[in-house]
Amino acid sequence: MDGIPLELRYSLPEKGYERFWEGLKRGEIWATKCDKCGVVYYPPQVDCTNCMTKTEWVKLGNKGKIMTYTVVKAKPQGYDKLEDYVIGIVKTEEGVDLMCWIKGRPKVNDTVTLTTDGMRVIGETNAL
Amino acid sequence: MMKRVGIIGVGASKFGRRDDVSVRELAWESIKEAMEDAGVTQRDVQLVVAGSTAYRGVELYPAPPVSEYSSLLGKTPIRVEAACATGSAASFSAVNAVASGVADVALAVGFDKMTEVDTATSLAIGGRGGNYQWEFHMYGTTFPSYYALYATRHMAVYGTTEEDMALASVKAHKYASLNEKAHLRNRVTVEDVLKSRVISWPIKLLDSSPISDGSSAVIFASEEKIRELKIDTPVWIEAIGYGSDTSSIARRGEWTSLRASRDAAAMAYSRSGRSPTEIEYATVHDCFTIAEIMAYEDLGFAERGKGASLLREGQTEKDGRVAVNLFGGLKAKGHPLGATGLAMLYEVTKQLREEAGPVQHQFKNYVALTHNVGGTGHYAYVTVLSR
Repeated sequence: MDGIPLELRYSLPEKGYERFWEGLKRGEIWATKCDKCGVVYYPPQVDCTNCMTKTEWVKLGNKGKIMTYTVVKAKPQGYDKLEDYVIGIVKTEEGVDLMCWIKGRPKVNDTVTLTTDGMRVIGETNAL
Repeated sequence: MMKRVGIIGVGASKFGRRDDVSVRELAWESIKEAMEDAGVTQRDVQLVVAGSTAYRGVELYPAPPVSEYSSLLGKTPIRVEAACATGSAASFSAVNAVASGVADVALAVGFDKMTEVDTATSLAIGGRGGNYQWEFHMYGTTFPSYYALYATRHMAVYGTTEEDMALASVKAHKYASLNEKAHLRNRVTVEDVLKSRVISWPIKLLDSSPISDGSSAVIFASEEKIRELKIDTPVWIEAIGYGSDTSSIARRGEWTSLRASRDAAAMAYSRSGRSPTEIEYATVHDCFTIAEIMAYEDLGFAERGKGASLLREGQTEKDGRVAVNLFGGLKAKGHPLGATGLAMLYEVTKQLREEAGPVQHQFKNYVALTHNVGGTGHYAYVTVLSR
């Protein structure tokens, strides 16, 4: 028999992370850094949980190297209407590892230019 | 002073698409079998730990209906969850209850009905298995895609190939064909695996474990109770090691090995006084074929980057140097998340008691382990056992 559908509607807090989401709209990628211990947090977190203090926002550069990637063909609910997409992990010049979508033909260790599409980080490969 | 703990009974349901039962009857299949195996009844069981991820079934709080159906009311104070290592989290809790003296006889039961939702919904739940906000929400990660990120890096750094990974699938299906409780019992070839539909490149359908329903149950008892019950075939828990890692896969800093597995193995070896070369039989977490190769390396069966050579050389086959997953593994036996860790203890217990029928491995010293990863290395448990 059919079960009773469970519809879950979520709303998420953005407070404290406005800099990150606004940055994405301007093509910028922001992380946070603890002035005391120097740890850079990406994904950003407002608290430095090592030093029990608050972090500061820092802008990351736009060059990186592909550490790994995958081409998603079986898509999850919420992404099922999209074309196949490539998820990558890129190491920035500052040594920060971040997830992004890769545009172009990916290869491990290739360099990418990091930009955004307003909602997420995009790594564009220079390879043809 | 912690007490010595042994396994006195094991049970497992048939894994697969189980439209014929609700989660209550499904859990009872394994609980009944475990109690009959141990020769005990509900009266002897003092504490029950229920392990279930429960996200895909209609019962979001499944421990009460399961304990009600199984006449175990009053004995189930907790349901535990550690993603794909939920069954091991249940055994960890039950073993600790016995070791500490809280209970003399404790039952851990793990179950999940994963086929009650469709595949796209299941992928969306699995994609939340990492970090919702920074990975699933922004990038549409899926569970196969997390492991695919490991596979791509392993291939680039160590030269592991898609054919190597396919060998793990071929082995799993070969043994599952001999296991009447397995989900997928068809044999496959390397070519079949390579030609199967791409799910998240380089992971293909036949590199992936199926979406399964199933349950497993294990009954643990203290040494004194084992003597009192006159159990002559206990399987001893020598040690349980655990590890954990970041929710965000991008923050791991490496994508060829699971730190949680290495930490869990190091703790389990250190606490049991065993080394990898002493392990004669292992169940390893092969939710995807790359996971089996990484497990060989993380458990110390092979050097970093050399995991695939064990498959190529057949060293993890029955009667090989260390036999692995002779019941078909998660890949082909099935992977109902809550049941898997306990299904591994079921399998190792059957092997150590020499009740494994056509896939019985020949032991010299009767030392084995289970390796169960939760999420993509978010949790790991390694349990060393002996007879």
